[in-house]
Amino acid sequence: MLKYLIPFTISVFGNALIAEERPIFDAHIHYSHDAVDLVPPEQVAKILRDAGVRKALVSSSDDNGTQLLLAAAPDIVVPALRPYRRRGEINTWMHDETVIDYLEANLSKNEYKAIGEFHAYGDDIKTPVIQRMIALAKERNLILHHHGDREAVDLIFETWPEARVLWAHSGFDDPASVVDALDTYPRLWADLAFRSDMVSRGRVDPDWKAAFEAHPDRFMVGTDTFAPERWYYVGPHADFSREWLDLLPDQIADNIAFANAERLLASE
Amino acid sequence: MRLWGPAVLVILTGAVRAEVLLSEEEIQQTLSFGPWPPSFQSDPSNRISNDARAIALGAALFTDPVLSVDGAFSCASCHDPKQAFTTSDTRALGRVLLDRNTPSLRNLSGLRWYGWGGKSDSLWAASLHPIIEEQEMAHNKESLKSALSESSFIDDFEAIFGGIQSQDPELVLVNTAKTLSAYLETLVTERTQFDDFRDALERRDLTEAAHYPETAQRGLQLFLGRGNCVFCHNSPGFSNNEFHDAGVPYFLNETEVDEGRFGGLNFLLSSAYTLGGDWSDDPDKRGAWAVRSVRRSHSDFGTFRTPSLRGVAETAPYMHNGSLNDLDAVIRHYSEIDTERLHTDGEAILSELNLSEQEIADLVAFLETLSNVTRP
Repeated sequence: MLKYLIPFTISVFGNALIAEERPIFDAHIHYSHDAVDLVPPEQVAKILRDAGVRKALVSSSDDNGTQLLLAAAPDIVVPALRPYRRRGEINTWMHDETVIDYLEANLSKNEYKAIGEFHAYGDDIKTPVIQRMIALAKERNLILHHHGDREAVDLIFETWPEARVLWAHSGFDDPASVVDALDTYPRLWADLAFRSDMVSRGRVDPDWKAAFEAHPDRFMVGTDTFAPERWYYVGPHADFSREWLDLLPDQIADNIAFANAERLLASE
Repeated sequence: MRLWGPAVLVILTGAVRAEVLLSEEEIQQTLSFGPWPPSFQSDPSNRISNDARAIALGAALFTDPVLSVDGAFSCASCHDPKQAFTTSDTRALGRVLLDRNTPSLRNLSGLRWYGWGGKSDSLWAASLHPIIEEQEMAHNKESLKSALSESSFIDDFEAIFGGIQSQDPELVLVNTAKTLSAYLETLVTERTQFDDFRDALERRDLTEAAHYPETAQRGLQLFLGRGNCVFCHNSPGFSNNEFHDAGVPYFLNETEVDEGRFGGLNFLLSSAYTLGGDWSDDPDKRGAWAVRSVRRSHSDFGTFRTPSLRGVAETAPYMHNGSLNDLDAVIRHYSEIDTERLHTDGEAILSELNLSEQEIADLVAFLETLSNVTRP
């Protein structure tokens, strides 16, 4: 993968060697049932190591993938429990009470740092399934990795004001709206997975740059391996991240690359 | 434009009953697929575009093995003129089995991007890369110049470009590619039964339009409506010429994937052969805005250019990797698409259509009218 990026990196930024040294905490990784079938855990671990990913927040549908990868790369994998047995449950899980049994069974036998990534918009948060899931997270003080809109974020914090929430894809919201959410909730963090609007051809978007400067301790990067083939994008994504982060002040770049995610995990 | 009211005409001739099934809105959408053929537009980045001598030389070079380093292949080896400028192979066989299905070479004039991954922004650049690609023709600039100098084509080449010995090898390479491009620009699919239907609708000749098979009309309605195929397969060329994840796996083997647009874009952005570069003959660099403004995106990975549907019945197998054997399989793919493969905020246009057998047959019938051949 790197062979394509090196000429571009050198031509635009001229400092590829330094950029490649920055470690990455990949805060948005999935290793779901179909990926387990096609990319073995040992291969996945090699991909992560080759990419310079020193930690990764991993969840999967079902949880088997996370446990397999945790066994293959315990030094890298930070396990999260996803409330899906298959990825196809993304739009229906909040109406399926058997999800609670699934969550409770896994929480009782495995250690996790987070619940998610889960998809929920607006009033979805009020459903009994999600309310119970939040309660389970609260009992164990687990991070909530949430994919959804601002209204859902508001309702999560209404349900559990002390929650630590990682907002997947920064809600696919515009930078100013993300800043507003981060201003409102000191315990909200935001990943930048599957969005590329932070940078264009060697220039950080001014609105995003302002967001990073306003909240240098809340953003983090992530690949989002939503299909099996996307595992082979972990390396290019890490390169991509290093390229644009290198355009920011070192402290902010390090924060977004790995330190914010590490501090989130260390927080109470 | 005047509305027709209920745009249904029933023709009763004995026991034969035919009608135009399309609504006024569907008719207006159908008109956007023509007229055909489009008027020829010369390529300003290629100074020998539409030059009769270049077209003739390009046609000759296309079928001659002089463009491969060891005389093993010609362009026509993979782009067989007798097979709609492709072959029936799943993936192209160059010096090794290549990664992708061979695309047909018709209707290529004036596109914004070329190739499944869009690694070129001009037809002459798209013609250049296979000549020097190690797994394809495998020439280098020097060997190409030497081969052409010693070939029977040298007089025609020098009649167009002047003495070859005074030309830098890279210039010879670019000139050769532009010659091929001049020829390829002339390859246009013929008018079809669909074009007759579309033009009859434009003329308000419902009697003539009603001769278009009802099954194809129903397929067209699905194409425009519930299937929403038109979202990507639009305009007279039936393609938006952009890049999408159609839910087709893109593993090459157990440890490699086809990067699609991601790889194509990285190639393009480091290429000397673009509309914004020195090898374009257009002093105004028309069209270069695209390569100058295109942005890399995480969603590029594993996406492929929307193929044209003109002549589609002649170009099986289908998809970037030739993994679907016939049009029936393509329709079933979209009907039963595995949306779990798609990002929830990515190709939101795609969803399981759950088509009936009749609807599948109707869509296939419509697609077949975009060609002049039908299934046996």
